[in-house]
Amino acid sequence: MDMEDDDMEEEEFEFSRDYFLAKESGSSRKKSTHKLTDIDLVDEQELREAVSQIEPKHQNEILTLIDSYRKFYPEWLLALRCGFGLLMYGFGSKKAMIEDFASTALTEYSVLVINGYLHTINLKQVLIALAEILLDQVKTRRKVSSRDLPKSQQPLNSQSIEDLLSFLDEVETENNCFVCVIIHNIDGPGLRDSETQNYLARLAACTHICVVASVDHVNAPLFWDKHNVHTQFKWCWYHVPTFAPYKVEGTFYPPILAHGGANQNVKTATIVLQSLTPNAQSVFKVLAEHQLSHPDDGGMETNDLYSACREHFLVSSQVTLNSHLTEFKDHELVKIKRHSDGQDCLYIPLAADALRKVLSEIS
Amino acid sequence: MAPSSPSVADTLSPSSTPVNSDNDLQPFFVLHKASSQRKDKASTRQGKVRKRNELSLSSPQSTKKLEGSTIEECDHHLFQQLKIEAFGNVWTKIESTIKDVLRDLNTSVFNDIQQWVLECFNATALIGELSVAEATCSFPALNNTNPGKLFTALVITRNIEFVDDILTFEELGHFLKSQGCHVAVLSSIEFSVKNGIAGCLKALLREFIAGAIDSADISILASWYREQDHYNKPLVLIINDLERCCGSVLTDFILMLSEWVVKVPIMLIIGVTTTVDNTRNILPSQALERLCSSKFLLGTPAEKMDAIVEAVLVKQCTTFNIGHKVALFLRNYFINQDGTLTSFIKALKVACLLHFSMEPLSVIHGRLAEDQKEKCALSPETMLKYMDELPTVERNQMVDQTGKSMAQSLSEVLTVRKLWSTAVLCLHEAAKYSRVRLLDLFCEVLNPDLYLSRDSDCGVGDEKESGLSSTGDPCQQYSVMQSSTFICQIVRKVRDLPSGRLHQLIKTWEKLTADIAEIHEKLKTLQSSVRCEDEKSSRKSSKDISKRNASRVSPYTDKDSRMLMSQAVSFIDLLVGLDIIHALY
Repeated sequence: MDMEDDDMEEEEFEFSRDYFLAKESGSSRKKSTHKLTDIDLVDEQELREAVSQIEPKHQNEILTLIDSYRKFYPEWLLALRCGFGLLMYGFGSKKAMIEDFASTALTEYSVLVINGYLHTINLKQVLIALAEILLDQVKTRRKVSSRDLPKSQQPLNSQSIEDLLSFLDEVETENNCFVCVIIHNIDGPGLRDSETQNYLARLAACTHICVVASVDHVNAPLFWDKHNVHTQFKWCWYHVPTFAPYKVEGTFYPPILAHGGANQNVKTATIVLQSLTPNAQSVFKVLAEHQLSHPDDGGMETNDLYSACREHFLVSSQVTLNSHLTEFKDHELVKIKRHSDGQDCLYIPLAADALRKVLSEIS
Repeated sequence: MAPSSPSVADTLSPSSTPVNSDNDLQPFFVLHKASSQRKDKASTRQGKVRKRNELSLSSPQSTKKLEGSTIEECDHHLFQQLKIEAFGNVWTKIESTIKDVLRDLNTSVFNDIQQWVLECFNATALIGELSVAEATCSFPALNNTNPGKLFTALVITRNIEFVDDILTFEELGHFLKSQGCHVAVLSSIEFSVKNGIAGCLKALLREFIAGAIDSADISILASWYREQDHYNKPLVLIINDLERCCGSVLTDFILMLSEWVVKVPIMLIIGVTTTVDNTRNILPSQALERLCSSKFLLGTPAEKMDAIVEAVLVKQCTTFNIGHKVALFLRNYFINQDGTLTSFIKALKVACLLHFSMEPLSVIHGRLAEDQKEKCALSPETMLKYMDELPTVERNQMVDQTGKSMAQSLSEVLTVRKLWSTAVLCLHEAAKYSRVRLLDLFCEVLNPDLYLSRDSDCGVGDEKESGLSSTGDPCQQYSVMQSSTFICQIVRKVRDLPSGRLHQLIKTWEKLTADIAEIHEKLKTLQSSVRCEDEKSSRKSSKDISKRNASRVSPYTDKDSRMLMSQAVSFIDLLVGLDIIHALY
């Protein structure tokens, strides 16, 4: 018994020693200063060139596959006419196929396309465009225009989203009159927030609107609750893998393999800054120069920036400064960090070299 | 629409063409506008068809050669149009039936709520009218003797999924409006942190006072209510889902309304998906003490489901039917996964779409649904008329005989279907005693395997035929069936029923089968024997007057009630028998 106990104890001791050794070596590895971002990757331009030179494979098979979906067009049209929304899923870009469907089978209806893969989509503009199309149709079909104009004869541009939606829902026209909305990548970055999805759902529920959409993200259905899915979008799911390359959709995603760092950031920052007013550019310069001269500081306090800008006659009030800052924040040119003393500090998320480049580019 | 048209190749690489690549970078663009000749096209299409029919009478061969593919295209379009119409007809009918069923289920609760609204309104009217000065000042009027209390109806939906009750609360809104109330319906989305109290108020004002109002000021509502004789009617605000509201926003909202309650005597109707106790978790005590709440209960989803299945899938004998696999899928999805009527109805709609999309002859069905209002079956002649209008029938000059026989069988199917639905309804009546849900029963009677197993044992089948007159043990007849089936459960329960209940059951069967001669006759045989029992027992009971006031069960002796029971069970067996329910397969 004693021997056994000794053995057990020894085993336990060894085990715990191994554990602490492993822990030690683990923590020593953690101290390494290498970062993932330090890995020297290919420049984006180079990568894009290389990508463009890849020979597409199985083109004929892909063509035959996409072609085979044509026989489903009548079925899809029927579903659409019966009040369902079409949701296309499956691997491969479905953009060309859906647009082909629209130009083949939906010629009788007006079709508006939303490119959900883009980063900024102004939904109100979309609604205005839709309302205009519908108004045009009402005018041409019935030759009576005055009665159907939206409430209080307001121009469409000045109406709120609520008004536009209720106009689209209530406009009186013949039963057969539809406007079809195609939404490429309804799960795309520009449409990803719940408010937009709610508006889209309400749009889909309007009487004279029918929706054809495509999804690529596996979790896309999590956007919608049961009300959205069953009574507003009324999706009919269709599995239509095309295996076609996501050429257009991928244009605006920085390639994972490319060097996300300096060059790209400098380029985008310069483009954004050049589109801003000279005063805004100067405010940015003040902040940048402060960051370059005080590299060890956490950033610049808003009040300091304000007084510095006032000295240079760049802003007259806190409000104007804030509007510039909002613009910067929206484009991720400036970020806020909370300093250890509780103050909010502004900093530019660029390395010193990159920042110098940006400054030289804009001046 | 040739399968290998080159346009696919063109559209496959849209970025190669300059027009498309421009569009690809636009957030949105108009692909094309509606072709204006659409209407002309449709009319010429029909013209062509008519012309073609005239021609085809003289020489069908030459016409085919002449028009070729255009005919195909016209036919296709016409056919598509027919399908859409057929789906529209059938689905509108189903949808309106569902709405009616749900409305009927809610009627009593709605009436109770309306009664409550009136009582509350009268109670607030007792406080007395405000003077003009009081009513038009822009701050709340409160007198200390009467702390602001909001009359609140908590409507327990008994369904954790709010989606089914959106319609219920909409209907409630319409109902109260029709009864002369000012009604506003706000969804829980309005009570979000992002919207804040101002958003809620704006939404409230938008609902009550038509027209765009930019300022969130409740005094606008107060003065609106005071003006233009609006104060003759109660103000009701419906919030459809308490659990999804943001607690703090709702609390602020309730506190504000309670401060203004003298000037704006608003009543709240709040949908609660869980329990009343849950209000304590969502609202703090300061808000709760401002509520003077009453409780109302809505029907459970299972009850609603049974009512819908009865009205749509069993009773409506002309619209489309679903088969066993589809029914089983819908049932399992409803019971095991989803539990919402909304998705059940949506799935039914998809099934309906697929039916019309895949079954070429289903278009006749749509016409039937449209034409047939109350009749249980159409004459073969009418059906033939519809079939004649089908493009394929027109072109192929289908042999008259085939068409006629087809119409005949279609008409027969409808008759059998009516018989079937009556049988299922009778079974359901019996099932109510053993708490078997209609949806389960429906799936079971559609199951073809059940009949196959019964088919295989002919001896027992014969026994069943004679079962009506025999007094043998009825459970022997069901030995072929698995004892776990719902029908077996029903039979077992019927055997245990007291005679009084049995009597009631037979009365209901009588009503259900009134216009179906085939079943009614069998029931009559059963009834005559019951009458005999009745007479016998009444003679017996008259001897002993003191027993007359006893329960209904007492007039029957043991032997009589056993007899009655075996008759009832034989009737069920007849219903389940091969000749009625199985007739559809």
